Amino acid sequence: MNCLEFRRAVGAEPGSDGTALAAHSATCPACARYQREMQDMDRLLGRAMRVDPSAGRRTDAATAPVQARSARSALGRGWAMAASLVAGVLVAAALWVSWPEPSLAAEVLDHAAHEPQSWAMKDIVSRADVADVLDSSGATLRPDAGDVTFARRCFFDRHWVPHLVVQTDAGPVTVFLLGHRDVAGETHLEGDGYEAIVLPAPRGSIAVVGRDVPGLDAVARQVFESVEWRA
Amino acid sequence: MNDVLRERQRQQRFTAVCEPLRADLLRFAFWLARDRALAEDVVQEAMLRAWKSLDSLDSDAKARPWMLTIVRREHARTFERKRLEVLDVDALVAAEADVLAAEEDAAVAEMREALFRLEDDYREPLVLQVMMGFTTQEIAAHMDLTQGAVLTRLFRARQQLRKALGGAGEEP
Repeated sequence: MNCLEFRRAVGAEPGSDGTALAAHSATCPACARYQREMQDMDRLLGRAMRVDPSAGRRTDAATAPVQARSARSALGRGWAMAASLVAGVLVAAALWVSWPEPSLAAEVLDHAAHEPQSWAMKDIVSRADVADVLDSSGATLRPDAGDVTFARRCFFDRHWVPHLVVQTDAGPVTVFLLGHRDVAGETHLEGDGYEAIVLPAPRGSIAVVGRDVPGLDAVARQVFESVEWRA
Repeated sequence: MNDVLRERQRQQRFTAVCEPLRADLLRFAFWLARDRALAEDVVQEAMLRAWKSLDSLDSDAKARPWMLTIVRREHARTFERKRLEVLDVDALVAAEADVLAAEEDAAVAEMREALFRLEDDYREPLVLQVMMGFTTQEIAAHMDLTQGAVLTRLFRARQQLRKALGGAGEEP
């Protein structure tokens, strides 16, 4: 099985786990990541599809009995419906309150660690391609940031975000533009051999991740200054 | 007396087998029609049809796909009967903004709007797969398509959603 066959299969059925798929996934990190992204997207899809079209509208038509029934049973159904509505609201409220805020450290460091091939890329990505990846985030990267050797949008904390690898004088760093994620101030993260600096940005935050990069703070600030935001 | 008993059993069967599916049917109809009022009409009409033809349902275990097929046909009939024009998706999104909204999660709201904008041919198999848990074989049977065609539609549906949400598309 090649990458195209794998992606066609996974794109149609992200949950499929056949032997051929597993074998390819084990040897191709990019396709393994693609499958994880598709599975994440499917979880989001499942939540998105669970709408309540009957809420606040025409409950007569939405819930009307098919045959005439006694007033007593209708009353019983009314109570049952009210109870289920109350239960639904309570469950939704509980989910809302308890929905886990993904750990920034886990998201940033795990994502960087799961992209080993992104660090190894040597070919320079064209300015046009970098601009394309950054465009929907309303940002551009000045050329003085360094050569970009990896640029794509990745599924990250339920959002598609730009993921770049920039070759700086101190070594390669991974950069995530987390437009959806606000941080109160500069945040340092460490784990699995990676170090990350997350800086508040005009839109959300920017995470800069490195491995054994001396002076990552300064590098992160340099990258941060190289990102320009459209009004 | 036998008729009364038979009718009561029929009613009990309908209540036990079909009525619990109503919420899922309404959701399915909503994603087909992208219009609450229309979805409610479709489901109500489908329930009536199901009631009338309940005896043709040979196994209660098949009630779910059976009812979904009735909803699908009723939706098609409604469109034909009302001669609905090509839809303005922006207007549909605006009209159903409160159903699509998910104040607790912007990503869910974005995904709902992207689903609204997906072509019918791609949206329906995706809803059947993700929301209803149908296999691709079951979707093929439901939509009268080959399994290959279903796989292609599912792949393209996800690529279009991915692009709509800011991700990169893959080769078709």
